Amino acid sequence: MKWILVAAAALYLFGSFKRPVFFAGLLAELVYLALRGVELGRLPLIGPHDTLVFFSTSIALMAVPFFYTPPLRDSDGFSWSVGFLAALFALLALPFPSFNMPLPPILRTLWFEFHVALAFFAYALFGVGAVLGGMFLKDRARAVLDLQYKAALVGYAFFSASMVSGGIWGYYAWGTYWLWTPKELWTSILWLFYTLYLHIRLKGAQWERMVAWAGIIGFAVTLFTYLGVSMLMKSSHSF
Amino acid sequence: MLTKIYDRLASLTLGLWLIGGVCLFLGIGSFSGGGAEGSSINDMPLFAWLRETPVVTSWWLWLTIACLALLALNTVVCSIESLRNKYGRTNFLVLIAPQLMHLGFLLIVLAHLFSAYGGYKQVMQVYEGSAIGFPDGERVQVAAITAAAGPMGMMTDFGAELRYGAPGNEKSQTIRPNEPLFYKGVGIYVKDVGMVPERTALVEIHREPGAGCALAGALLFTVGNVVLLAVRRGK
Repeated sequence: MKWILVAAAALYLFGSFKRPVFFAGLLAELVYLALRGVELGRLPLIGPHDTLVFFSTSIALMAVPFFYTPPLRDSDGFSWSVGFLAALFALLALPFPSFNMPLPPILRTLWFEFHVALAFFAYALFGVGAVLGGMFLKDRARAVLDLQYKAALVGYAFFSASMVSGGIWGYYAWGTYWLWTPKELWTSILWLFYTLYLHIRLKGAQWERMVAWAGIIGFAVTLFTYLGVSMLMKSSHSF
Repeated sequence: MLTKIYDRLASLTLGLWLIGGVCLFLGIGSFSGGGAEGSSINDMPLFAWLRETPVVTSWWLWLTIACLALLALNTVVCSIESLRNKYGRTNFLVLIAPQLMHLGFLLIVLAHLFSAYGGYKQVMQVYEGSAIGFPDGERVQVAAITAAAGPMGMMTDFGAELRYGAPGNEKSQTIRPNEPLFYKGVGIYVKDVGMVPERTALVEIHREPGAGCALAGALLFTVGNVVLLAVRRGK
């Protein structure tokens, strides 16, 4: 079944400057996720393989509304850049085995699925924001920076909702809405960083370059929170 | 002098530096022993941990708390200034949405303060037929401990049936992962069970006095965030 994922990555990587090819890649990835979901009987959100595929699909999915905005309607560069990001994470998923174990009892709750799915939608929007930040630094089109703000704001809303659902789940599962673990510390850092981003924008037009850079650095913090903490630090949140 | 301090506290730049400071110190903490998984910081109320831990280990947390305290003050003053300057001059929803988010943030900080002061956690191993005693003499009876295993031998479900309440008005509830019993202001959670040689359960008792405040803050923050998204839509 992994050939579907390889096909999706190839479509993103070699053809996503053409919108129909990008959509074909997204469709292939959605089919792969749906097949995994049917096989497991739940959302595939456990382990590095499934989370990387979910992340990759989320990036492509969250980029779609931006295709129809006036500044990006004719931009092949944007669709190729988000296609490249989606392909990168789809390819990173390939070497990892896909686990078919039943869910441990502690993860068998809707709060867990909300928590993880919303976090990945947020991560994806932060990725889209980073791409838009790069485009602004290259072309200095103010409209693109406004789109970066929208991506970050919606991503921030998803991420906040993910933290709230994680807190509720934590209270029912562990007796506390907060634990001092590396993942929770970095989750707070990421949330605070995007709070910082949203407030830097209030400083005015002379801070535009800083805002664009903050959107790019924010995605680096996102990747460390998702992948870095799981790989470099011991945490109950490791995939 | 007071006006100068007030103006400083109402500064957006100060807020940005403080958010940056909290990020920096939490980042340092994540690499230090204190914030590591399994650290004793999660086994006792935060203020008790801070009292007992040498500053050489906990300095990052002291600095985080200092930055957060100033940030809370900065948030209050900035909200007051925003309401004062923009009231009647802008759409009410545009004005109120960020303030709801600020209020939500402040409630969440307050919730952490309550939990840091009055939180409680106790881990115990209980046997089938034994009881969990409360300081007022009440007892919660562990009536049964159950477990179910999947085809590969992995535990797929487990729980403990608890009986509580005055004689004649006894109630019973089975606690499972994600399904604790809330009784007399504490939560009783089952973490693990063993079936041989005796039926035992690892149980945790938690008191989280900030939980209600944190939920209220989270709801206010979410409402503010949704309103902000709605008013910024299409702009």
